[in-house]
Amino acid sequence: MTSRKELETRPPQVRSDGPHPALPSWSHAMIYVLYFIVFLICIYTARHYWFTLNRLFAFQRHPYIDIDTASWPLVTVLVAAHNEEKVISNILSALMTVRYPEGQMLVIPVNDRSTDGTRAIIDEFVERFPGRIQPFHRAGGKGGKAAALKDAMELVKTEVILIFDADYIPGAGLIKQLVAPFFDPEVGGVMGRVVPLNVGTNLLTRLLDLERTGGYQVDQQARMNLRLVPQHGGTVAGVRLSALREIGGWNDQSLTEDTDLTYRLLLHGWKTVYQNRSECYEEVPETWPVRIKQIMRWAKGHNQAMVTYGLRLLLGRHRATLRERIDGALLLGVYAMAPVTLLGWALALAVFFQGVTPLHGVIALFSLTAYAALGNLAAFFEIAAAARLDGTRKRICLLPFLILGFAVSIFSVSRAALSQISDLVTGAELHWDKTERFRKVL
Amino acid sequence: MNSSLAVAALILFVSSMLVLPLIPAFLELRLKSDASPLKVVQQHAGEIRHFANSFRTYIQVLEPTLQQCVASGATASGMLPDGVEYLALGQCDDSQTLPIQQPGAICPVTIAAGSDLVVPPETTFLRDVYAGGRFRGGDNNSYRAILGEKDVHLGRSSRVTRWVHAVGEFSAEHDCKLSGRISSDSCIRLQGACNFLRLNAPQIETGHVMPGENSTRPHSEDNANAGSGTVQRFLYDGDFEVHANEVVTGNIVARGKLHIGSGASIRGSVKSVSDMVLGAGVSVQGSLISGEQMLVGPDCAVNGPIIAERVLHISAGTRCGSFQHPTTVSAPRIEVEEGVVVFGTLWAREHGEVVASP
Repeated sequence: MTSRKELETRPPQVRSDGPHPALPSWSHAMIYVLYFIVFLICIYTARHYWFTLNRLFAFQRHPYIDIDTASWPLVTVLVAAHNEEKVISNILSALMTVRYPEGQMLVIPVNDRSTDGTRAIIDEFVERFPGRIQPFHRAGGKGGKAAALKDAMELVKTEVILIFDADYIPGAGLIKQLVAPFFDPEVGGVMGRVVPLNVGTNLLTRLLDLERTGGYQVDQQARMNLRLVPQHGGTVAGVRLSALREIGGWNDQSLTEDTDLTYRLLLHGWKTVYQNRSECYEEVPETWPVRIKQIMRWAKGHNQAMVTYGLRLLLGRHRATLRERIDGALLLGVYAMAPVTLLGWALALAVFFQGVTPLHGVIALFSLTAYAALGNLAAFFEIAAAARLDGTRKRICLLPFLILGFAVSIFSVSRAALSQISDLVTGAELHWDKTERFRKVL
Repeated sequence: MNSSLAVAALILFVSSMLVLPLIPAFLELRLKSDASPLKVVQQHAGEIRHFANSFRTYIQVLEPTLQQCVASGATASGMLPDGVEYLALGQCDDSQTLPIQQPGAICPVTIAAGSDLVVPPETTFLRDVYAGGRFRGGDNNSYRAILGEKDVHLGRSSRVTRWVHAVGEFSAEHDCKLSGRISSDSCIRLQGACNFLRLNAPQIETGHVMPGENSTRPHSEDNANAGSGTVQRFLYDGDFEVHANEVVTGNIVARGKLHIGSGASIRGSVKSVSDMVLGAGVSVQGSLISGEQMLVGPDCAVNGPIIAERVLHISAGTRCGSFQHPTTVSAPRIEVEEGVVVFGTLWAREHGEVVASP
């Protein structure tokens, strides 16, 4: 039994005055790493709030959206298609009815080694609309969208190129809206807004709808407003041929050719602009395994771009402004933050069970419980604000379920990062996974 | 109360507090009351004549009545299918039969005229007006919307709150306030001190335009497709100046302010992230884009779109676009001096005004 005297002489179990000299050095290191992680998460938190408040209260930039009359240039529309028999006819039909001057638009379906009925459907459209569709059937070569687009460039003769994935359904005015920014000679890339079509299918599609809303309505538009780095999404998007040539064409080594393109354009002094009102329907994954596969590919591609361009963007000699360098670097780090947050979580627990409370008062409480344990809650605020801007109401009720989506993402993205490190060590090649479609064949 | 009951009660209470915020989420997941895709405009494509076309379709039911009125020279009244009252006029001078007794009166019905229509001054039209022929409005009138199958002319100090479309020419006397969309299949002419937001016509003129000036445009043979061909790009990180009478072949991008000297010729497009000033007689084959304010000097000729993200001032004698290559001029705030011609669209998001040239 412990005597009263022993209790009085025993040192206190919980310390609240920072790293204690009695702790082993690895504990100190752990606490300093934790400080750094909390600092990083705080930066991302501030960034989310800045974007959201900008979107809610500041001047909104839509400089090109009013260009409705012009001598519209020749444009090539590339439709990336790999085993897309479920959806390819929808996009080709939509493209044949868009309002763009006759003879000024050529559609090139890039049929990348499809083994289903994609080729037959494309060829049927070519027959129905002579001179308006030029198919590019690719039977072999390297896999992946970037490799397919790279090969298809031999058919492209126009200065303006638009790119769609096959599951998208462009509206009548979308082509003009996406072409309009190219009248600005500083613009190298254009990105429109992606809107999920199969929202009501299940919980996953509803969560993805909320995520997309936040990502486009707030994140991308705020970057546009603040002249930061709107991200090229590789679909509902455009690129200037001369800019693409200047940066060396499509990078078929990249898993996310869109992120890769964004940064190479930026480093060469070209701007990517975002058009929030150029909206286009897409199909989002309806099952968790497909979603996990998709986000793992995005994470790997993004991390690949971070390693390739991160330091050069921050410290190199190029045309990007200081704010573009900082925002660009933060954007490159978004997927790396998932394993970092997990590490912070583990460290917070470890430090706690060592009986140490490393920070003081309220900040310690907030940082370690909210940020390090649950991640960046500012993203939830951003999504709620985005849903409000969209004029939707009831779907905001689903916000608490985003914790689930967040948990799945954080573990999937961390797994992707670990697998990427392992691939790096073993020398395994990155490979591109196509996202499965769910639309019923018409 | 024994201790195990207290623990159970505590667990129950904490669990219910945890579940409580999730109840709306579960309800929404089950009821799917807001689960449809966000509405994306798929078809009308922001067409300026959208409302005019809809109105034409809407009043098609009156066509037989209007034909009878024109043939008989009579007037008719009744209700449209949605319960809106109308007055169909057969003759130009039938406007005297409008339900308006004195100046300052309010006309509460939809007016449809089978032929020309002249309306008295000092009148407020709460409903849309249709003229099968020419439309001529008196001074100080207020309109909701007008569709004219031929020319539409608004008297001094008139107001339009929604839209006007003229198949023929649209003209507005001094001091008119034109909110909403104004379009013509032929020409729009605005006199001094007119306010506007969105205008579209093959040709838009402000004030008095010297005849024959349209043919003096430099580089009128050039294609205005800034994005249609690959041209060299000159990128400057700070302020930049193109000297007077200098000829530049290629696109110019200045990350600071840009000044283009008088008489200079740019065979390409021009962008400044900050303010842009064009001297007199500058010609630009492509587009003009400014991230802040833009001042276009007198007698300039610009083929491509002109976009300023804050304020745009266009001086007298300037030509924007051409018949062959119509274009868009857009900014939140636009001041256009009298004597300017725009071929295509002139779009002020917040406020546009025709001002006297100094």
